[in-house]
Amino acid sequence: MQQSMTEFKNMTEQAVPKMSARDIHVRYGDNHAVKGISLDLHLNEITSLIGPSGCGKSTFLRCLNRMNDSVAGCKVTGQILLDNKNIYDQNIDVVQLRARVGMVFQKPNPFPKSIYDNVAYGPRIHGLAHNRTDLDEIVETSLERAGLWQEVKDRMDSPGTALSGGQQQRLCIARAIAVNPEVILMDEPCSALDPIATAKVETLMDELKSEYAIVIVTHSMQQAARISQKTAFFHLGELVEQGDTTQIFTAPRNEKTRDYITGRFG
Amino acid sequence: MSDDLNIKPTDWQSPEMVRHTQMRNRREKRFKLFGLSAVILAASFLFLLLGKITLDAAPGFLQTSIEVDINFDKAVIGDPRQMGRDAFIENVRRTNMLRLVQASMDIYFSEVTDRRDRRRLLRLFSAGARDQLRNMLLADPMIAGTSKRVSLLASDDIDQVIKGHTDISLPELQRKVKNKELSWLQKFEDDDRVSLHFHSLFFTSGDSRDPELSGIWGAAVGSALTLFITLIIAFPVGVLSAIYLEEFAPKNRFTDFIEININNLAAVPSIVFGLLGLAVFLGTMGLPRSAPLVGGMTLALMTLPTIIIASRASIKAVPPSIRDAAMGLGASPMQVVFHHVLPLAFPGILTGTIIGMAQALGETAPLLMIGMVAFIVDIPASFTDAATALPVQIYLWADSPERAFVEKTSAAILVLLTFLIVMNALAIWLRQKFEQDW
Repeated sequence: MQQSMTEFKNMTEQAVPKMSARDIHVRYGDNHAVKGISLDLHLNEITSLIGPSGCGKSTFLRCLNRMNDSVAGCKVTGQILLDNKNIYDQNIDVVQLRARVGMVFQKPNPFPKSIYDNVAYGPRIHGLAHNRTDLDEIVETSLERAGLWQEVKDRMDSPGTALSGGQQQRLCIARAIAVNPEVILMDEPCSALDPIATAKVETLMDELKSEYAIVIVTHSMQQAARISQKTAFFHLGELVEQGDTTQIFTAPRNEKTRDYITGRFG
Repeated sequence: MSDDLNIKPTDWQSPEMVRHTQMRNRREKRFKLFGLSAVILAASFLFLLLGKITLDAAPGFLQTSIEVDINFDKAVIGDPRQMGRDAFIENVRRTNMLRLVQASMDIYFSEVTDRRDRRRLLRLFSAGARDQLRNMLLADPMIAGTSKRVSLLASDDIDQVIKGHTDISLPELQRKVKNKELSWLQKFEDDDRVSLHFHSLFFTSGDSRDPELSGIWGAAVGSALTLFITLIIAFPVGVLSAIYLEEFAPKNRFTDFIEININNLAAVPSIVFGLLGLAVFLGTMGLPRSAPLVGGMTLALMTLPTIIIASRASIKAVPPSIRDAAMGLGASPMQVVFHHVLPLAFPGILTGTIIGMAQALGETAPLLMIGMVAFIVDIPASFTDAATALPVQIYLWADSPERAFVEKTSAAILVLLTFLIVMNALAIWLRQKFEQDW
C-alpha cells in the first residue's frame, strides 16, 4: 500500500512526457539497427544517450525528427509521440515536425552564408518574422541565448564558416533555436570541439534546458554525468538501461551498464 | 625464453637496406622523368599545331589591292544631276562597272590592244572590284564625272603571287598566272601601286566562291544562332534532369537504367545524333533544312549527357552536412535544393555547361547530316534561315581547290580556336567567381 502510494506520487510528479518512443525498430535492409526502443523525453530535462559505437543511439536520435526518411533503405516501425501525436502518422507534415524538433549535428555545419543569414534562414522559410525588425530581433535573441552575440555582433556579415569550431557549433545551436523548437536533438555536439569550447556548449545546454526538452548523444561518460538528468544506455541496438543519471552512474542495475561506465568495454 | 619474441631493431645501415632505399629513390626519379617528358611531348605537339596554324593563317587576314585611276565616266554610268537620284541608282545597279576598269586599263596599258589580252587584264582584279566601284557610287553619286585613284581588290591568283605562294620559277604552262600577267603586275609594282593590307572583309562577309571575297561572318552568326538554341534547350533540361535524378528520384532499377543510358549517350558518336536529327526533326517534324533551329536542337541532344553528368557530379559534391543542416531546420526538399545545393553546385554546373557548349561549337558531323553543309552566301538573319557553322565552313574551305582557300581555312580555324579559348576562359572565370568555401 505504502509502495503503491509513492509510485502514484512519482507518477503525478512526473509531467506528461514531451516525446515518447514506443517500441521503435529501425532496419537498414537486413541490418536491424534499433530493436524495440521505448523511451520518454521530458521538458526541462537533458536526456543522454550513451553506448559503444554502432549501438544505434544516433539512428534512434534521427528517428525523433524523421531525419532517417531520406536515408535509402531505412525502415522505421513503432510509434513516436510528440504531444501525444504519432509523428510517423500519414498526415504529419515532416517539414513542420522538424521545425518543432530541432537538431544540432556532430560536425559544426554552418551554411556558407553570413552569420546573420545562418540564423535568419529558419525563421525566413517558416515565415516567423513579419518584417526586418522582427527578424533582426529573432537573430539577436537567438545568438544571445546561444552565448555568441557578444563575439559576433560586429561582424554579422562575415561568413559563418570563418568562425572557430566552437563558435560554429554555437552558431548552429543559435540557428536551431531561432525557429523556436520544442525539442532539441544533439548528435555528439562536442566531439569536434576542444575542452574550452565544450565547456561553453555545456553551460549553454544547461541554460537552454529550462525551455526545451534536450536529447544528447555522447561518447563522453563525464559529459553525460555532468549535464544530463536522465541517461539511457544502448547496446547492440537495444536499450539496456534507463533512469536518473545519478542512479545509472552510481548504482547501475544491469551488469553491462556497469561494465560500460566503468570502462571495462566499449 | 623463446628467441622469436626477441625483436631486433631494424638495421637501416645494412647494405640490403641501403640498396632498397637507393632503388626506391631511383624509381621515384624515373617516374617523375616519365611524367615530365609526357607533359613536354604533349605541350610541344600543341605548340606545333598552334604555331603551324597561326603561320598559315597570318596571310589569310591580309589581302592584295592594286591602285587604279578610275574615271567615273558619265557616258557609262549616267549623270545623277540630269537623271535624278533614283534613276541614277537604278542605272548604276544595271551597268557593268568593269567597263570603268577596262577604260582605265586601256589608258594605263596602252600597248595592250588584243581583245583577249584586254580581258586578261581585267582578270587581275577580283570580281569584288565591281561591287567596290558600285558601292562608291551609291554612297556618293556626286563622284560621277570625276577621276579618282581607287584601291581595287586583286584576284586571288595575283594575291597568291604577291604573298609569295606561287612558284614563278615553274615553266609557264604549269602556272595559273602566266608571264604576261606577271609583267603587267611588275609594272604596277614598279609604280608602287600594289599594297598588302588588313582584310576586314574576311570578318564581315559570308561565304563566296572567290577566296578574296569570302568571309567568316556568315558562319560565325550561324554558329551563334545554333549555339543559342542548343543552350536554351540543353541547359534547363540538363540541369533539371540532374537535380531530379540526384535529389528526388527513388533509387531503383529504373533510375539505374536511366543513369547507365545517360552515360552511354555521352559516348555515342556525334554523327548518330545527326542521323537522329535528320530522321526526327527534318523527316517527321518537317522543320526547314540547313537551319540553325534544327542544328541547335541536334547539338542539344548531343550536349545533354555532358551537362547532366557534370551537373550530377557537382550536385553530388555538395557536402551532405549542408543538406542535413537545412533539413534539420525544416527546409522542404525543394528549399534544400534551391537555397543550398544549387548555389554550391552552380560553378560546377556552369563549367560543365560551357564545356558542353564548346564541344557543340566544334562539332561538324551532326550538322552535315541536317544540311548545314550547304554553300550559303547570305548572313543568316533568323533561326530558320539557311546557315552554316564555323567548323563546317572550315571543312568546306579545306575542300576547295583554290590555293588561296588554304590560308582562309587556317584563318577560320584560328577564329574558331579563339572562340573556344574565350569560352573556356569564361568557364574558369565564372567558376572562380561563384566558388565558395564550406
